[in-house]
Amino acid sequence: MRSTLLLLLAISAGLQAAESEELVTFNREVRPILSDRCYGCHGPDANKGRKAGLRLDEPEGAQLKLKSGQRAIVPFDLAKSAMAERIQSTDPEEVMPPPELHRPLSAKEKDILLRWIKQGAKYEAHWAFVTPQKAPLPPVKLNTWPRDKLDYFTLSAMEKVALQPNPEAEPVTLLRRVSLALTGLPPTPEEVDAYLADKSPQAYEKKVDALLASPRFGENLAVAWLDLSRYADTYGYTGDGAMFAWPWRDWVLDAMNHNMPYNQFLTEQLAGDLLPQATLSQKVATAYNRLHRLTFEGGSIAEEFRQDGIGDRVVTAGYGFMGLTLECSRCHNHKYDPISQKDYYSLAAMFSDIVENGLLPYHGEVPPPFVRLLKPEQTTEVASLKAKVQQAEQAYQQTLKAAVTSEDRKSSPIKVPAPVAYYPFEELTKTGTPNQVPDSKPATFERHRGDQLGSVELAPGHVGKALSCDGDGGLYLSGMDKFGRYVPMSFSAWIQLGEKNKRATLLHASGFYTNDADASGLELMIIDGKLRWSAIHLWPSVAVSIQTTQALPLKTWVHVTVTYDGSSQASGLHIYLDGKLAPTTVERDALDTPIREATLELASRSRDAGFRGGLIDEVMLWRTALTNAEVALHHGLPLASLTPEVLQEHQLLRDNATVQTAWNQLQTARKALEKVEESAPKFFCMQHADTVLPTYVLTRGQYDQPNLQQRVSPGVPTKVFPWSNQYPSNRLGLAQWLTDPRHPLTARVAVNRYWTQVFGAGIVPTTENFGLQGDAPTHPELLDTLAVEFQESGWNVKAFLKRLVMSATFRQSSVASPKGREIDPANKWLARGPVQRLSAEMVNDQALAAAGLLVEKIGGPSAKEDEHRRGVYLYRRRTVPPDSMLIFDAGSRETCQPRRLTTNTPLQALLLLNEKVFVQASQKLAANLSQKPNLQPEEKITLAFRTVCTRWPRPNELKALTALYQQELQAYQKDPAATAKVAHQKNPEVAALALVCNTILASDAAVTSR
Amino acid sequence: MRPQPPTYDDLMRVTRRHFMGTAALGLGAMAMRGIMAEGAEQALKTHFAPKAKRVIYLFQAGGPSQFETLDPKPLLRASHGKPLPDSVRQGQRLTGMSGYQATLPMAGSFVDFKKYGQSGIEFSDLMSSTGKVADEICVVRSMFTEAINHDPAITFFCTGSQIAGRPSMGAWASYGLGSMNENLPAFIVLVSQDATKDQPLYSRLWGSGFLPSEHQGVQFRAGKEPVLFLTNPEGVSPHDRRQMLDTLAAMNADQRATQFDPEVDARLAQAEMAFRMQTSVPEVADLSKESEATLAMYGPSVKTPGSFAANCLMARRLVEKGVRFVQLFHQGWDQHGGLPGGITRQLKQTDQPAAALIQDLKQRGLLDDTLVIWGGEFGRTAYCQGKMTKDSYGRDHHPRCFSMWMAGGGVKKGLVHGQTDEFGYNIIQDPVHVHDLHATMLHLMGIDHERLTFKFQGRYYRLTDIAGKVVKPILA
Repeated sequence: MRSTLLLLLAISAGLQAAESEELVTFNREVRPILSDRCYGCHGPDANKGRKAGLRLDEPEGAQLKLKSGQRAIVPFDLAKSAMAERIQSTDPEEVMPPPELHRPLSAKEKDILLRWIKQGAKYEAHWAFVTPQKAPLPPVKLNTWPRDKLDYFTLSAMEKVALQPNPEAEPVTLLRRVSLALTGLPPTPEEVDAYLADKSPQAYEKKVDALLASPRFGENLAVAWLDLSRYADTYGYTGDGAMFAWPWRDWVLDAMNHNMPYNQFLTEQLAGDLLPQATLSQKVATAYNRLHRLTFEGGSIAEEFRQDGIGDRVVTAGYGFMGLTLECSRCHNHKYDPISQKDYYSLAAMFSDIVENGLLPYHGEVPPPFVRLLKPEQTTEVASLKAKVQQAEQAYQQTLKAAVTSEDRKSSPIKVPAPVAYYPFEELTKTGTPNQVPDSKPATFERHRGDQLGSVELAPGHVGKALSCDGDGGLYLSGMDKFGRYVPMSFSAWIQLGEKNKRATLLHASGFYTNDADASGLELMIIDGKLRWSAIHLWPSVAVSIQTTQALPLKTWVHVTVTYDGSSQASGLHIYLDGKLAPTTVERDALDTPIREATLELASRSRDAGFRGGLIDEVMLWRTALTNAEVALHHGLPLASLTPEVLQEHQLLRDNATVQTAWNQLQTARKALEKVEESAPKFFCMQHADTVLPTYVLTRGQYDQPNLQQRVSPGVPTKVFPWSNQYPSNRLGLAQWLTDPRHPLTARVAVNRYWTQVFGAGIVPTTENFGLQGDAPTHPELLDTLAVEFQESGWNVKAFLKRLVMSATFRQSSVASPKGREIDPANKWLARGPVQRLSAEMVNDQALAAAGLLVEKIGGPSAKEDEHRRGVYLYRRRTVPPDSMLIFDAGSRETCQPRRLTTNTPLQALLLLNEKVFVQASQKLAANLSQKPNLQPEEKITLAFRTVCTRWPRPNELKALTALYQQELQAYQKDPAATAKVAHQKNPEVAALALVCNTILASDAAVTSR
Repeated sequence: MRPQPPTYDDLMRVTRRHFMGTAALGLGAMAMRGIMAEGAEQALKTHFAPKAKRVIYLFQAGGPSQFETLDPKPLLRASHGKPLPDSVRQGQRLTGMSGYQATLPMAGSFVDFKKYGQSGIEFSDLMSSTGKVADEICVVRSMFTEAINHDPAITFFCTGSQIAGRPSMGAWASYGLGSMNENLPAFIVLVSQDATKDQPLYSRLWGSGFLPSEHQGVQFRAGKEPVLFLTNPEGVSPHDRRQMLDTLAAMNADQRATQFDPEVDARLAQAEMAFRMQTSVPEVADLSKESEATLAMYGPSVKTPGSFAANCLMARRLVEKGVRFVQLFHQGWDQHGGLPGGITRQLKQTDQPAAALIQDLKQRGLLDDTLVIWGGEFGRTAYCQGKMTKDSYGRDHHPRCFSMWMAGGGVKKGLVHGQTDEFGYNIIQDPVHVHDLHATMLHLMGIDHERLTFKFQGRYYRLTDIAGKVVKPILA
């Protein structure tokens, strides 16, 4: 009732004031309303049935004649505009937005929309999607105040609302503020004294330069980027195992400390592997795209999690580099921003250009692709060892060639070598089946899981009886382990398919399928009826594999022999059917890492499809790669049927000493390379591959619902900024697109984030969302000017931060004047300096530093709390983040966190007063002060206060702290036991001081930068 | 109209700490909202009259089998060992653990069911204690979810999304309604120490996501320090601490007078709250004052600190003191193999205490406005995973149907809602999605799930995302 009245008043007032009414600005006033209340149903997303066919995000749609015959908007004509009527209706069936939205228009908002229509309903492009331009300096009255150009913009805004800038802050306050902003640590009392003693006009600037040059700078600046990049030390899902990622964190710190230009910072992380002659450091940078969570939970479906990982990369880059909420477009076109679902999957295609499994390997291997973190001297060594392998390969090939043409032929009769195992399957015992090779072990029924389903039986075979497989049961070829990467081997068996096996395990050396995320070791599979023979480190990235071109026949005995020569090459794998080499295709040819050497299992694998309905007979194993001729003889082909090439090959491999020597030298060279390579840690990274799985638009974002009509190639949201064919169609192109000087978002998003770091709130307060639902900039011309000048400076981050902290705006006192509090309670117009609660890391670092406990060491493995490192180095376990971090509003780092909230809770007080680090710091600070015998208690308390809070205590503060000290001193003098517990010594003064120090650490002066 | 809770962006502005004077809307007041004086009027009114003022959620982590608990299937028992007909499965996805199994033999429950109470609800013999309170209970046999693996599924159940980083159920309740006790957090989490830890728990399950961290669940632990950092350091007495707080008050008063920043007051208020928690938490956590009769109801393990039984009793004490949302977690339900033994052990630990909780709440007149919920993140397959022997079998994860029960707080008594097919594979009547359960839970607390929103990253988020319907037939 009352609101209706208000509305009527507002409208009639509006009508009366028609001539003089204020012009509505679309970007600042109208669009936020349309976006928030209308675009959900009448916006860019047409997929879900745009309501009434009406589209309000562009003038054509808004003015279109609708089915009802009406037009939502007729410029300048309220009477003809259906929108005017609908938004003012009191009929719940008629009113817009509909009551179900639960966000009705306020009277003021209605007035804005009505005035907008009346004034012609002009649209403007969304400010953030228009290339920023430098603005001329605005005129100001108080022209003596600005120090930097940016001050003209802030001052002009202040003057518009009749605010005056605050005077400059006290030097000590300013020193604390700038030190915390740039390095995350407050200055020591000595630094304060030295600063105050420096009377030169450049004293402040010198200090700023020193802070920017300090390695602490990177340790501080990195934190926000680590939040955004969801950097952590564990993989985050079930089990939450350790994730080796800190070298990437050190890369970030190093980039920041060395003032890497922002465009390079962006490019190396997004596309370091695609840069020409990419360095190790540039490859390490690309781990940015690998920091998302990964699971090894049993039964997980790899594709589901692969898609989740890719999605995480898209979303993280969206927030970090573009200030866009891309995840909205995973399931449908964005409801507010011009980002279609296709755009989202085009970006997904950018980020899915690596060969990966999607799951985390179970046994702790680094999920490929990876790079080896070789030390510089190892790099040289590896290069030389690689050259040696190449030479040995050439030498081997030449030896082969030479031997072929050589007349000197020694030809011994061809004999099939003795197998190391032979299972004829003529009997099954309680535990397995005998091995006919003397002194060898039988195959057993041993299983990975005791309760594993299935069994094997005997049935009529090719020779006598055979093993009949139900698809779940199998046999362990016990005693047959150690078929490694360098061990030549052969496997042969008669098999008969009972059904068209889509997937069936014949032989493998892994644990259980999917849980291993990799199927590592030797592996012989039936895939769609074809044989696939592989040696695998981790599937599909690091493996060699071949597959027959023809499917096996059904219900027919086939004699299968597979061989591997120990070369780690696909060319060293062979499949023979009935004694003859079978045509195959190469599936994978990238094995540079050891393979699993576990016991071989026949016919089944836990959690995988076994050889259902199949028969297996006459299984043999050799510790040598049989030659084609031997395989033929093994099958029973007559010697006369062998071609001269086959015979010659046999002779070369078996009887030619020169060839064997060359081969042995080659294998020795390969092993020498492996030894050095494997001594270096593997580190996950991006590694572009030309042949990867195609990307489709996923219907409703479901991993198992690819829209096969909508295959996409790598691309970007072109309505945000157009693509140019001069960019390569990959992540490097994406980086070039983003760092194009005309790109509307990249520089704005970056300068706004740095501004936030220094001023506590952004010029665009929603730092992560520059889209239509984000906040409008408080100082749009300033933001644009800063963005352009940042690019012109060569994306110079330190220079930009220096500019900010040197400005008059930053240096103001933060104490609000009565007028400032009244007009601008939130300090939107910056007529006073920033106030910020210290971050979780700063609270930790300040306490440790005050007590002299802080271990200052740059980089390295993440640390536990009691190692007393800076907060940036705290070990971040994603499912159980450090308490001190969570309690002071740092997130879990499970996903990208663009901003931290600042809260105020009792748990913070409990932490500051009772937690080990803070109690220990209080005790240590007190003990340190007690070493200064010349100081009176007040002087010690003053020094403690200065050490933590930087400034001198005010008289009332000192009085209160001294009173506490005296009371506690009396109490502890009477209680030696308590003294010992608090002070770790007999001196009650230390105990009393420790409580004083703890109180200081918990005070507002300590946890706030003012 | 009900005042909307502050948005993320409001909070960001507020927390810049530039609120003028002692404006009641300052963060201090906002933070205090969660910690109102005991029995005081709630700061934020509900959308409509609540039936449940508090919730106790007995979360059974790992996915309890419906077949041996709440959903009897005679035909499945009769078909024990026979292959599951393809027509039942309808080609739906299985996990990678049993998806490649060559055969899917049906597994009937090893345990019998009986009818209980006037309502005649059937419970398995392993749940005979719960059976005794059958007439207080509403069994839902038609729950379903979207995820098939533990981590995504339990995250979905606790936060309404499989994606990590969303606020949990209790955090939403705290954000929407606040606490009814100035000395205790609004949302408390208890994790059974006597459970078999087969699948892990994560702090995200009770996290505040993008809501302010004051709404995150506070874990009460067994032992001397129920809340982290609650205990004064050694050698510091409560009196010393009082002196420190008085000093802090004096210092902050001076800071306030010179900086004109109301945030200073808020910080001091939090320190005072912390001080009060140091007394109130150990008090509420102390079970020694409970009568022998009460302890006996919960069974012998109630005397083991941190056991499910002790936690059930603790939950009653907490809601009695006005805690809004108490969530218990009991792990150990992931019986891929050896199910008969495993589930017998689980129900031995949990059946009697859960039933006792209902009785105890009832005898204290608390059951009418306390909602109790029992259930896991998904159900289990009708077919056997792994080897089937004479007296053992296993079951894989099954998201398409499973059972839960609820009691008290505005839920119909003695009712069975929903029905599954005769093999217990698919729902044939009244499906209830996780979002529906959340919507119903909030509804019972007086909240319209579509209106409890928080603007974050440009979008209005809800516990129920863009779905969820209140399950009206189960409302009393």
